[in-house]
Amino acid sequence: MFYIHNTVCISPQISFPDTDLDQLIICKDNKLYAKEVSYTDIPPAILRRMGKAVRLGVAASNPLFKLYDKLDGIIIGTSNGGMEDCIKFLNQIMHYEEGVLTPTNFVQSTPNAIASQLGFLSKNKGYNITHVHRGFAFENALLDAAMLLVSYPDNNYLLGGLDEISTYNFNIDYLCGYVKKETISNDDLYSGTTDGSIAGEGVAMFMVNNNSDGAVSKFRALQMLHTTDEKKLLTAFKTFLSNNLPQNETIDLFLSGENGDARYTKFYESAESILNKDTAAARFKHMSGEFRTASAFALWISNYIIKNQHIPPHMLKNAVKIKDINNIVIYNNYQGFQHSFMLLSKN
Amino acid sequence: MGTQELKQDLKEKIIEFLNLIDVKPEDIKDDQPLFGEGLGLDSIDSIELIVLLDRFYGIKIKDPKEGRKILVDINTMVGFIEKNRTL
Repeated sequence: MFYIHNTVCISPQISFPDTDLDQLIICKDNKLYAKEVSYTDIPPAILRRMGKAVRLGVAASNPLFKLYDKLDGIIIGTSNGGMEDCIKFLNQIMHYEEGVLTPTNFVQSTPNAIASQLGFLSKNKGYNITHVHRGFAFENALLDAAMLLVSYPDNNYLLGGLDEISTYNFNIDYLCGYVKKETISNDDLYSGTTDGSIAGEGVAMFMVNNNSDGAVSKFRALQMLHTTDEKKLLTAFKTFLSNNLPQNETIDLFLSGENGDARYTKFYESAESILNKDTAAARFKHMSGEFRTASAFALWISNYIIKNQHIPPHMLKNAVKIKDINNIVIYNNYQGFQHSFMLLSKN
Repeated sequence: MGTQELKQDLKEKIIEFLNLIDVKPEDIKDDQPLFGEGLGLDSIDSIELIVLLDRFYGIKIKDPKEGRKILVDINTMVGFIEKNRTL
């Protein structure tokens, strides 16, 4: 589909500007907050109006803008955008009875505020779009990039996925049972048998194009599926692999979006059931937490693993030792009904 | 509330309302221009300041020309607040 070159990820782990993923950052309150970074590249007058999602998105994109003279578009996946500011604005409407309202919270809180700020700051007047399809927000951004690169094969695109934890969405997710009632540590995420996960946030940005020269990896396939039936999921996964992975190739690593929610383990076990004994299995949600664009973090860490040929030990689910990591399959699901498969290969 | 107390209160509110990162009340001089080269505020901030006056001091500014005379610096704002506040 396309090649992935440079990437930046700002996450709850040590991922930017330095990267040390072997050391797991621990959270003990069911919230994995992305670590704020230095914002020296953002003019202070603009920075002070930015919500967390916007400033993280800009901070992660700035280093990539500097590497590319020619950028043809900005494609962002974010389900919620700057939800914290959005709720501030909505609360103002209630509190002041639809009277005089301040514009900044509203202007900065729409999901497309991130891509538009990136366009303004990089002076990029090209394609600029934001995909907001809940648990498929990043997947739709990926699909968009892939289709654009068919139509415009010489183009470069900035592709990204991000979301923030807001008080509002955390409380709603908690009340709906998507966050664990009991407080756990993220290094203990997979051992429980209760419903719910831990909340997370982060941003992952990718420079993508059709040029294999210097690329780290090749993004080969993507499939999205809506189902609550693990049998349908299994059938779709088998079809995905048979359609996209040649018979002479193997999956070296299966990266699972398992999130500690007992209700959804069956989907991951179903997908894992068809892997052969030589496939390593790893998980990432204890690093990122659960959020609607967590698959962007999964793609970023897969790219990291391919580039470094190293899997942080705390990610591994089984004891399979692999020499070369050439093919990684990512399977993620959001709330048990939005499933996605991705195939990434070493360039 | 005395004039000095009001100035301190207004500076604190401006910093909080406009999210002026790394600015403290003592950094804002009473006669320092709020816009342009002074505190560096812009047109969106002027709307925020008008909302601030309404919410915290009960002052409604409907005429933009009036706003330009009031939102010059802390002295002009405090002078206007002292004469017109309803809260």
